[in-house]
Amino acid sequence: MDRNQIRKWFKEPAKMANKYSLHAIYFCTGCGIIEVPPVITSRWDAERFGVIPVATPRQANLFLITGYVSVKTLKAIIRTYEQMYEPKFTVGFGSCPVNGGMYWDSYNTIKHLDKYIPIDGWIAGCMPRPEAIFVAVTHLWTLIDKEMANGYVRYRENYNLYRRNQEMALGKLEWPPLYSPDGNREEDTRE
Amino acid sequence: MNELLKKELESIFKDLQVNESQAGRVTLIAKRGQVLAVLRFLKDRGLDHLALLSAVDWIEEKEFELIYILTRYIQDTDDDSGDGRLHLIVKTRISRENPKFETTISIFPNAEPYEREIYELFGIDFDGHPRLTPLFLERKYAIPPFRKDFDTREYVQEVFDKIPFVGDKDK
Repeated sequence: MDRNQIRKWFKEPAKMANKYSLHAIYFCTGCGIIEVPPVITSRWDAERFGVIPVATPRQANLFLITGYVSVKTLKAIIRTYEQMYEPKFTVGFGSCPVNGGMYWDSYNTIKHLDKYIPIDGWIAGCMPRPEAIFVAVTHLWTLIDKEMANGYVRYRENYNLYRRNQEMALGKLEWPPLYSPDGNREEDTRE
Repeated sequence: MNELLKKELESIFKDLQVNESQAGRVTLIAKRGQVLAVLRFLKDRGLDHLALLSAVDWIEEKEFELIYILTRYIQDTDDDSGDGRLHLIVKTRISRENPKFETTISIFPNAEPYEREIYELFGIDFDGHPRLTPLFLERKYAIPPFRKDFDTREYVQEVFDKIPFVGDKDK
């Protein structure tokens, strides 16, 4: 272990533990799925960076959205994101979640994913190399250290705005709001 | 192409155009009324796989073109490369003002999702289809989005670009 970090470990052990054990849920919406298997398996081995894939959103704290987002997928992304426990971090992978990429005038593809859920980091490129995921992870460590990876806080604070945008894109949502207007979590009546 | 099949097709169906553009790729241009009969005939002759059902919007000619691609499950040669394989492409035109056609589910059951897709994206109605419900799209569109007169750029500007970013100043 890096000796310089010992002080940090004693000061904020929970944050440090979070930072070095990112449990990722890969939302393979598009072509980015091709990059993910070599990243998590022996060729690039994401576990060196403490990133490990998990099966369900309730076990994850890193949400990696790889590829273009259609309107139908957006619904699933929002549901997945709202099921994850805090603190949770999101990374958009590839050009398409950033600004639509080559789908910039598509009738059914969402441009600017950060209008609908908060994004902590972007990896631009079409497609980015698998190494770019590790660059993003190390950047994310820095952001977590400086408490700038605060997408989940922004989501809680601006939930009404995010919810408004989601309803503008998807129409009436069939699930109740996650947070009440004062920013507290609603008493969970959902299944 | 099997010469016998070609002769049979030309003798049974009048004004059916048979063109062999390259070996194994045969295009049949059929009149609207004879498509189902042609498909049923071809199925009886061993072309039992509907590989694709697609549509083209010929907006200047005010017509939609429906394209059925048929092939065999079992190849007639031992060659595995697929070169000797017969692909039959049945094309027909229907009017753009009243886009209606008959369903082919009774001949090829796997036409069901293709017809739903075409109904959703081109707005072509298939008579006799059991459930023409939305398949891919979540939103409602005034014009079905694969028609040529659907302006995607205008649609994006009207819908997705008008959704504002979430910034701190909105609070």
